[in-house]
Amino acid sequence: MGKNSIRLLAPDVHRGLAELVAKRLGLKLTDIYLKRDSCGEVSFSIKESVRDEDIYIIVQIGSGVVNDRVLELLIMINACKTASARRITAVIPNFPYARQDRKDKSRAPITAKLMADMLTTAGCDHVITMDLHASQIQGFFDVPVDNLYAEPSVVRYIRETVNFDEAIIISPDAGGAKRAAGLADRLDLNFALIHKERARANEVSRMVLVGDVTDKICIIVDDMADTCGTLAKAAEVLLENKAKSVIAIVTHGILSGNAIKNINNSQLERVVCTNTVPFEEKLPLCPKLDTIDISSVLAEGIRRLHNGESISYLFRNNPI
Amino acid sequence: MRKCKVFVGNSHSELGELICSKLGIEPAPCTLKKFSNGETSVQIGVSVRDEDVYVIQSGSEDINDHIMELLIMVSACRGGSAKKITAVIPQFPYSKQSKMKKHRGAITARMLANLLVMAGADHIISMDLHASQMQGFFTKPVDNLYGAASLGKWIKEHVEDYTNAVVVSKNPGGTKRVTGLADSLKINFAMIHTDRRRGDNDFLATKMKKQQVPSHSRRQSVVGRRRSSAKKEDADEEEELIYSNGLQTARVVQGHVVGDDYIAEEAVDESAISVDSDQEESIPNDQTSYALGGTYDAADSDEEYEPEAPEKLITLVGNVKGRSVIILDDMIDRPSSFIAAAEHCRLNCGATKVYIAATHGLFIDNCLEELEACPYIDQVIVTNTYPITEKKKQCKKLVTIDVSSIFAECIRRDHYGESISVLFDKIASGI
Repeated sequence: MGKNSIRLLAPDVHRGLAELVAKRLGLKLTDIYLKRDSCGEVSFSIKESVRDEDIYIIVQIGSGVVNDRVLELLIMINACKTASARRITAVIPNFPYARQDRKDKSRAPITAKLMADMLTTAGCDHVITMDLHASQIQGFFDVPVDNLYAEPSVVRYIRETVNFDEAIIISPDAGGAKRAAGLADRLDLNFALIHKERARANEVSRMVLVGDVTDKICIIVDDMADTCGTLAKAAEVLLENKAKSVIAIVTHGILSGNAIKNINNSQLERVVCTNTVPFEEKLPLCPKLDTIDISSVLAEGIRRLHNGESISYLFRNNPI
Repeated sequence: MRKCKVFVGNSHSELGELICSKLGIEPAPCTLKKFSNGETSVQIGVSVRDEDVYVIQSGSEDINDHIMELLIMVSACRGGSAKKITAVIPQFPYSKQSKMKKHRGAITARMLANLLVMAGADHIISMDLHASQMQGFFTKPVDNLYGAASLGKWIKEHVEDYTNAVVVSKNPGGTKRVTGLADSLKINFAMIHTDRRRGDNDFLATKMKKQQVPSHSRRQSVVGRRRSSAKKEDADEEEELIYSNGLQTARVVQGHVVGDDYIAEEAVDESAISVDSDQEESIPNDQTSYALGGTYDAADSDEEYEPEAPEKLITLVGNVKGRSVIILDDMIDRPSSFIAAAEHCRLNCGATKVYIAATHGLFIDNCLEELEACPYIDQVIVTNTYPITEKKKQCKKLVTIDVSSIFAECIRRDHYGESISVLFDKIASGI
């Protein structure tokens, strides 16, 4: 091993994405030791030398034990730091706590900012993430953040699998309109918008459709799907407005709580998620789920970052 | 107390509420829950603008969740324009990972310190940090309180003839802690050292020697046999061996004290033991039955990641004969080193009673069950810095000492800008 070469690290759980990235880069994941004490504490060490190396830690943070994954990541970063790594890049495709990004109530914590500070405090030099809930989160960091987009991969997926002429892009809320419009532009399709009135977090009350979806294949685009209540409700509204069928494409399929039940009971034809979030175990439970592999985007991002090449190419193009 | 809010985290609400009731205030309202995707949600239910805020969060079994909860609470108070935020962490999590133990390991305790300060904590209050050097990890003031005063008080009140008791450290690293308590109680102390038995060749050589000169080996064997031995000359020589240098040594196999003619290779073979046990009354027949669990860690808790040695040598420095023994440490997480030390004190060194005292009772897995099953341990004394579940409270040997008053007094003094050193001096002044 030469100095300053790429080293890929991943925790011992949810290594699927990391292994895909490693395969694409033609590398092996670095050997680690990670043990969870029965009192919950994590002890970690790296079995190979990482002195003067370029470290990339790839974590998939899904639903459930978010805090354990976060602490593991921090401990891994800190271990690399104390082991004299040249640069440590945290590759967190699904940035945790991204939705707590503003002080929406009195004395509400801005946990996304806290996460950013925690990563830099632990010793992180660079962050690669994907489809941040709000791109302002980039500004929370004092270190460079590369926010990659799943859009090129989504574009390719739509081109390959959906009957193009009948499709229309739908944004399930006003906040996502920009994302939907961008995708519609790329695909040269029309787009419509659903406005929802949210009573409480994870609950949806009333929905209004803006735009015409008659006899169209509706493609709902969003950055994340949590309990999928919004998606199910949106599908209902769209079909009431004479849509032909409804597909949902989300970047981060967190699918927590009753998500699988909601999808199975809904009128959605398909729910497509990228593999930023580990949900392999949920695939057999729900025949409507489909995956877009974004490991090529991450692998190319890592390669370009390591070689000091421009990342912006990836914002528009999907590497093969 | 005016302009003061105390928030209690989910990890140990019982202690938090005790502290609040001692302070004569209600815990400040806040909603702590989890979103369906596993992220922690914190809502501070009262204005903290320009207030003196205390956040109480200890260790627990869901430690990572509670660390995040603490960090988010501190951050939320910081965002809510609190004047000063103090994190009260009775049992500091990850405190055992306070140094780089192996190549490329993380110093998690330092990282946690950085995270706390980064989140907005202005002051940290903790108790019996695993290493007091950890105070240097913080760029903010740290008050490290001592639980020894409360433990000492209990010992004075409950240990019979405590003036003749001996405080024992089960590893050399904890000797300083032990001498502190011994000094304040004005009693003696002793130390136990466990090291890896010298190589196999040495063992074989001893074995060979034994076979050749059986009578000689008998004389050298463990002190525990002394009582069963009828021969006066044997006993005399034994006494000499022990008290001339104050060292008492025995072998430890799989976390239990064994006799010298115990053969390590057959350690798991019960039939082999029963042959020996006929001769040696002091060594229990059922030693394999409670050797289950097998979570033997190194005697020095700092070396918990060292590979497990099949056989160790346990040495007591000091005299405990005919006295009560109080084995003191900062935390009880795994039982084996305590059990080995207790067995050694009772079986080989003639102690009358063995108490185990520690500030933090973590009791990982079956720790408490194993301690309770050990016939050589009389009582286990811990403080309530770490949550003790109802199930654990059922344990007859367990005594829990409430330390909420120390934290309450510390918070009160800190809030009014009074000196906290009185709380430290309590130990020196004989409690």
